[in-house]
Amino acid sequence: MWIFVFRRFLVAVPTLLLISVLVFAVIQLQPGGFLENMLEDPRVSRETVERIRRQYLLDQPVWVQYLNWLSGVVRGDFGYSFLNNRPVSELIWERLGWTVFLAVLTIFATWVIAIPLGIYTALRRHGLGATLANFIGYFGLATPDFLVALLLIFAVLSAGGTSVGGLFSPQYIDAPWSWAKFVDMLGHLWIPLIVIGLDGTASIMRQMRANMLDVLSQDYVRTARSKGLAERVVLWKHAVRNAINPLISIAGLSLPNLISSTIIASIVLNLPTIGPFLYDSLLNKDQYVVMALLMMSAVLLMVGNLLADVALAWADPRIRYE
Amino acid sequence: MSKRRAVWLVGFVLLGALALAQPKTISGYGNLGVTSGKAGGSLTLALGSAPQTLFYYGAIDSAIQTLANQMFDGLIEYNLANYKIEPALAVSWQISGGSRVYTFNLRRGVKWHDGRDFTADDVVFTYGQIVANPEARGGDAGNFAGVKIEKVDTYRVRFTLPKPAPAFIHYMRLPIMPKHKLLGFSQEGGKAPAEINNAWPTNVNPEEVVGTGPFRLQSYTPGQQVTLVKNPNYWKRDENGTALPYLDRLQYLVITDSQARVAQFLAGNLGQINITGAEFPDLKRREVQGAPFKVVQFRALFGSPPHLAFNYDAKNPELARLFRNSDFRRAIQAAVNRNRIIEDVYNGLAEIPGNGMAPISEWYYDTRKLLGSYNLQAANAALDKLGLKRGPDGIRLLPSGRPLEFTLTYGSNSTAFTGIATILQNDLRQIGIKVNLQGILAANLLSTGRGKDWEALVLGLGDQPDPELRTPIWKPGGALYYWHQSTQPTTPDGPPQFNNFLPWEREIYDIWEKAASTTNFTQRKALYDRWQAIFAREAMVIMIAKEFAVGAVSNRYGNYVYSLGVIPGYNPVPLMFQR
Repeated sequence: MWIFVFRRFLVAVPTLLLISVLVFAVIQLQPGGFLENMLEDPRVSRETVERIRRQYLLDQPVWVQYLNWLSGVVRGDFGYSFLNNRPVSELIWERLGWTVFLAVLTIFATWVIAIPLGIYTALRRHGLGATLANFIGYFGLATPDFLVALLLIFAVLSAGGTSVGGLFSPQYIDAPWSWAKFVDMLGHLWIPLIVIGLDGTASIMRQMRANMLDVLSQDYVRTARSKGLAERVVLWKHAVRNAINPLISIAGLSLPNLISSTIIASIVLNLPTIGPFLYDSLLNKDQYVVMALLMMSAVLLMVGNLLADVALAWADPRIRYE
Repeated sequence: MSKRRAVWLVGFVLLGALALAQPKTISGYGNLGVTSGKAGGSLTLALGSAPQTLFYYGAIDSAIQTLANQMFDGLIEYNLANYKIEPALAVSWQISGGSRVYTFNLRRGVKWHDGRDFTADDVVFTYGQIVANPEARGGDAGNFAGVKIEKVDTYRVRFTLPKPAPAFIHYMRLPIMPKHKLLGFSQEGGKAPAEINNAWPTNVNPEEVVGTGPFRLQSYTPGQQVTLVKNPNYWKRDENGTALPYLDRLQYLVITDSQARVAQFLAGNLGQINITGAEFPDLKRREVQGAPFKVVQFRALFGSPPHLAFNYDAKNPELARLFRNSDFRRAIQAAVNRNRIIEDVYNGLAEIPGNGMAPISEWYYDTRKLLGSYNLQAANAALDKLGLKRGPDGIRLLPSGRPLEFTLTYGSNSTAFTGIATILQNDLRQIGIKVNLQGILAANLLSTGRGKDWEALVLGLGDQPDPELRTPIWKPGGALYYWHQSTQPTTPDGPPQFNNFLPWEREIYDIWEKAASTTNFTQRKALYDRWQAIFAREAMVIMIAKEFAVGAVSNRYGNYVYSLGVIPGYNPVPLMFQR
């Protein structure tokens, strides 16, 4: 097992290097940048722009910039944000808390809701409840998250509500934690949970349903039934355990969503997460912030994959013995 | 006897204090609907992006510009009604020595937020160590090269210019910074010049950020909110002698998306927002239906009116020749339906634009006759006259026989620009010109324009109260004279490439050269009038519309005057009060 993990780790290093070269190159291809726009301010002259370009070493050839960045990363320094004039790691750290909180909460809610629903809709294929759940699922899959966000905001406004964005009402944002602040958060939290979670819930539910239907028609399920096992045992021990296997790898792949999946929804809902920060940095070509976030995303993807493989091996003896 | 002496003494001290403290009384804005308010309350506003730094001169960043307006003051400020220059931290000034020596008498009794006295040292430090520092990212070294800045006494500062600069007084709107807090980041404090940019990053202790302005920083929650509280010692008073600002607290929520801003405003979480003409109908309808807010419009000086530019140096030599021809641009201008754009795109909340100056500005020269009116027949006739015959599909042909088509680049994430581009495309098709639309991010328009890879472009550049402040845009060869880049100097400090100037560009250049060393207002006005007339006559770029400033304000607040927010020295917020 450990040899397996170690081997995966060795493969990850050149992969990450390759990804970093690609990402860096793509950032350079992007037109524009924050320096040009500074000129619109009457304070800024051409000379100032050139001087800032030199301050940031942007006058160096691209490969020199890349090697500088790489040698920094090896030493644990992810570079400076041009826009904020602060180390990238600090800026990410400031925004990481709410990002992880929201992501973990939505992933948790998604799975807790989607898996039972998937099983349920597979067992009662033609029931009213299943039809309803399927409809909502299709709706969730077909509607972009920002549209769901706008619809919910409209609904809240029409009902005279005030929690239409962010995680808190303005008076609680920098207030110390209290019961009232917690309640206020709950009042805001359900919108992002639905917006970010709906799509995932729907797709996992559909997947689980398909897997279940697949498994339920297998010979071994029929065998289990015919040898007189209780339906409960057939269902949970034989069917569900097999049906859930493919979803484990999906779970691993969803780890990078922490950073990049919710950009538009976060902007529309004004959530204090990393998504809008990444978007801003992309627009302004704040290259070291973009590099750090995209590399983080790549690392998370690899770690997620690895975790999924380990979990699969743990859940499925057949994989372990190969 | 001793008692009487004590009374005298107290009297003297009071008189002395009165003489020393020099509050400024704000009055005369009745026509803007300003009345006397009451103290207390709080207001929540929106910031379009998170601040990149809390140091005004550390970045060109609209968020810190907006915040700095509330936390700091300049030596001068703008009248809210007529944009004339008024005393702020300077109570008066004399201009002498052939318009080269500016002496400012500073307001006495002004305190920094931490209780220290504001003196001439702070002004000399701000301009000498920060503004004139070429390494400061938000400095203005270009305009302060060779300017001698000296302290005359505790409350007097003198600037000696190498040559007369008529718009120099406007540079005095920049916020004054506290020397006692920032010395450690300056060259005077023994640091490298670029070190100044590291002052007051966003994670600085708020106590460190002290200004003289109406509000002081209380806290910043990264990416979410900035909280400011009232400066009880502010130097402005209302007509009744009540200390300004009225509000106890000013909160800024960071909301990037304009829809989200509107939603937060409708939910009552924001007290006031700036909106565009496109958002106007919905909000106005709600107001009429009795929603607890007002939608207010002003003719504003500031703002960025869009124009249509053609690349005189387009890669296709045939197009470049055409684009350089004033007759061609005038023909296009006749096909620009300004009234329709004003009605359809801005919902009527715009006016016929000036040429480089806002119609409300004292510098404005009425160019409406020269801009002409929408007339497709005239446009067609003018194009016929240029020898551009129509092909079988109705599209005109270039001399080489290729169809007359070009790409029009616009900001696709701006509703206004998208509307304008579509209307232009439609009308130009009527006169036999095929326009291919290319939408890019509005934020990338300027850098695209300054590159070589474009043919026609819709872009807005900001209006300022003095034409001199926009020299890089309108003077041929300037850094932002992007439509004719072959006039720009080959080296950063070199002269423009005069050999590539068109005759009328040379004329404009000479006007700007002359105006830059003329200080008499009437003479300057005459020169800039001439420039605006040539600009309009040659259709240098085709100005499209000047949008009104539209804002929505909750009925809970009084004394609302529109402000773009980012213009130093234009700050109506201290007058706002909660009912």
